[in-house]
Amino acid sequence: MPKNSNDRTLFDKFNVSRRTAVKTALAGAATLAAPGLMIGRAHAAGQYMDLGSFQGAGIDWRMAEGEEITIAVIPAGYFKNLEEVMPDFRTLTGINARLEMIPPGQIRQKAVLDLSSKTGTYASHAADPMYYQLYVANGWIDPLDDYLNNDKLTDNAWFDYEDIQPGHRGATSVDGVPYGIPFDGEATIQIYRKDVYDAAGIGPADTLEQYASNAAKVHDPDNRLWGCALRGFRGAGQNMYIYPSIFKAYGGEWFDGDRVTVDTPEALGALEYYVSLLNKYAPAGVENWNWPDIADAFGQGTVASYIDAHGSAAVVANPEKSKVVGKIGFARWPKGPSGKRVTSIWNWSFPINGALSEKQKHATWLFNQWAGSREVQVATTYAFPGAYKRTGANRASLWKDPKFLELMSQFGDNYVEATTESFANDTDPDWRPRLPQWPAVGDTMATAIQAALVGQATPAAALKEAQEKIDKILKG
Amino acid sequence: MMNIHQRASARRNALLMTAATVLLLIWVFPLLWATVVSLKSESEVLAYPPNLIFKPVFQNYQDAIFGDFSILDSLLTSVIVATTTTLLTIVLAVPAAYAFARLKLPARRTLGFYTLATQMVPPVGLVIPYFLILNKLQWLDTYQGMIVVYLTFSLPFAIWLLVSYMEDIPFEMEEAALLDKASRLQTMWYVIIPQVRGGIAVTVIFVFLNAWNEFLFAVQLGGNTVRPVTVAMYNFVSVEQTLWAKLAAAALVAMLPVVIIGIAAQKQIVKGLTVGAVKGGGRR
Repeated sequence: MPKNSNDRTLFDKFNVSRRTAVKTALAGAATLAAPGLMIGRAHAAGQYMDLGSFQGAGIDWRMAEGEEITIAVIPAGYFKNLEEVMPDFRTLTGINARLEMIPPGQIRQKAVLDLSSKTGTYASHAADPMYYQLYVANGWIDPLDDYLNNDKLTDNAWFDYEDIQPGHRGATSVDGVPYGIPFDGEATIQIYRKDVYDAAGIGPADTLEQYASNAAKVHDPDNRLWGCALRGFRGAGQNMYIYPSIFKAYGGEWFDGDRVTVDTPEALGALEYYVSLLNKYAPAGVENWNWPDIADAFGQGTVASYIDAHGSAAVVANPEKSKVVGKIGFARWPKGPSGKRVTSIWNWSFPINGALSEKQKHATWLFNQWAGSREVQVATTYAFPGAYKRTGANRASLWKDPKFLELMSQFGDNYVEATTESFANDTDPDWRPRLPQWPAVGDTMATAIQAALVGQATPAAALKEAQEKIDKILKG
Repeated sequence: MMNIHQRASARRNALLMTAATVLLLIWVFPLLWATVVSLKSESEVLAYPPNLIFKPVFQNYQDAIFGDFSILDSLLTSVIVATTTTLLTIVLAVPAAYAFARLKLPARRTLGFYTLATQMVPPVGLVIPYFLILNKLQWLDTYQGMIVVYLTFSLPFAIWLLVSYMEDIPFEMEEAALLDKASRLQTMWYVIIPQVRGGIAVTVIFVFLNAWNEFLFAVQLGGNTVRPVTVAMYNFVSVEQTLWAKLAAAALVAMLPVVIIGIAAQKQIVKGLTVGAVKGGGRR
């Protein structure tokens, strides 16, 4: 990517812009006001979207006028953008909806606490797709087909649910019934240093085997360049985010009938690959690395390649933080021995809390539908007036929209192609084992993977132990 | 010429000073590092080897205070919550401690034990009960809810701390006042409180610090209205990336009020900390 001044606009997120200046002034004024008035941050009144395009939907947007709803989200650029355009939702619907930012480490517990005690504090929340089985098994959230198929509530000709990325729709459905509306989602892709690969006379890996041999060819720790890195940190969303793709690429299947199987030969092959790859070519301490650490190291030029969410390109291609801008190439996940490439289908989606009143549910549905709509996706991605543009657009049609693609192609070589092909071909709804006990199962697997990585147990012993624990969890 | 004793004591002093300096450096290092990080740009933060010579930038402070994830309103929230908690704690704990220390209450020991027992439950075990109670009262994400929850921790702690100070005051002082026909309240106000000023200062610091630094209950029971600075700081650890420099700047800003109070009360604290040690544990 050329380092010309045009590119800066994409990233100078923290420069003081007009918006920030207005906000600063308002924040100052708000501080003087009573604390009770300081809910949410003040916004300059403004129309971000043409409200007429919403009126085109054959539904009554004002059916829940006067309702108040709170939606829990996490502090992330994409939700910040959504918060920014929320005044338009209030104007359109007369619903007083507000976002509440909760740290990512706490949002799941807080949502479960709210749902299980049926307090209805959060009308909706940014949900982890792996939690839907738990929610549904307990009847905490509403099935959305009732809403999608009710023409008083949804005009599908306008909303076009089927346009949302199939992988993300699959991830937020249980037994084919949709429970969440995806807002922002990702695919995992291979990210590599083009200059380093070129110098070594290699290209991005097509197979996992080749990924390891690529790493070997460029691995030069004496000069502070390590061959590759993958998430090593223990956690259901950390090492148990990257391992499942390898597991699937090795031909692993999570379910054998009703039983969860994690100690099959395919699982062992995948874990041995992961452990050997990282022990040979990743920087020391990779067992404590999560995605920000990997992206930071890549940005500092000390890691030649990694595989992670396509959104992390925004970090490594940000000249404020990265030293490798313009030297980055992208490719799909390498194929495993089974011939499959399997990406993450991670996304943040909005369910409807079952503990709400009928009218509040309608208000929440209007919000979910609004946030997932093409109009809002456009308004928070390329049409967003601020410097930060979202990369996780939820709609297949947006990934064909030249304006969106023009923005995305600035991240580097083959970025758009790698990401769109992954969305189209590499998704698998059973990328991770979907079941109500996921939090415990995911944690057990994460512990086993890390134990194998640091050599506390052989991969075979770690998986055997995990299998025994999981059998117990599912029996109890 | 130094004699053997002087030389030995000089050597011991030197050793003590070295040990103190090493310990101090270990303690201070993270703070120094955070200060250095807060003055760097995000790309410099991660540079290896770390640059010790760099052009300091103050942008991080500006971003932390006024930027997209401004901590300004959260700072105010923290001030309100921590100050109110501290004031209420002292107002309630001083008479309670006096009663435990001096009055012949029925079941005094049992009551004292139960006061302490509330401190024995791991806080995380209380999150769900408190959540449900506050929800019933419609007090989730309200100042009164957060403060009442903080009082449940700070009161028993403050009472027990103050009891030990009050028991150290010779009974004769009070007796003199009582003989002059002072009431119990007058005695407490004019005789006891001036004597335990140091103890009260220590209690204020600890209670304020605990309320200021609290995270677990703040994140679970708070929300948009009541979001203390400990929670707001987490906004710099986003899903996409960790903004180390801004996080460091926010943390240092958030530390400031505590440091100011600490310095202001330092004299009282040192006095308060040594009282128990010099005079022994009182007559518990």
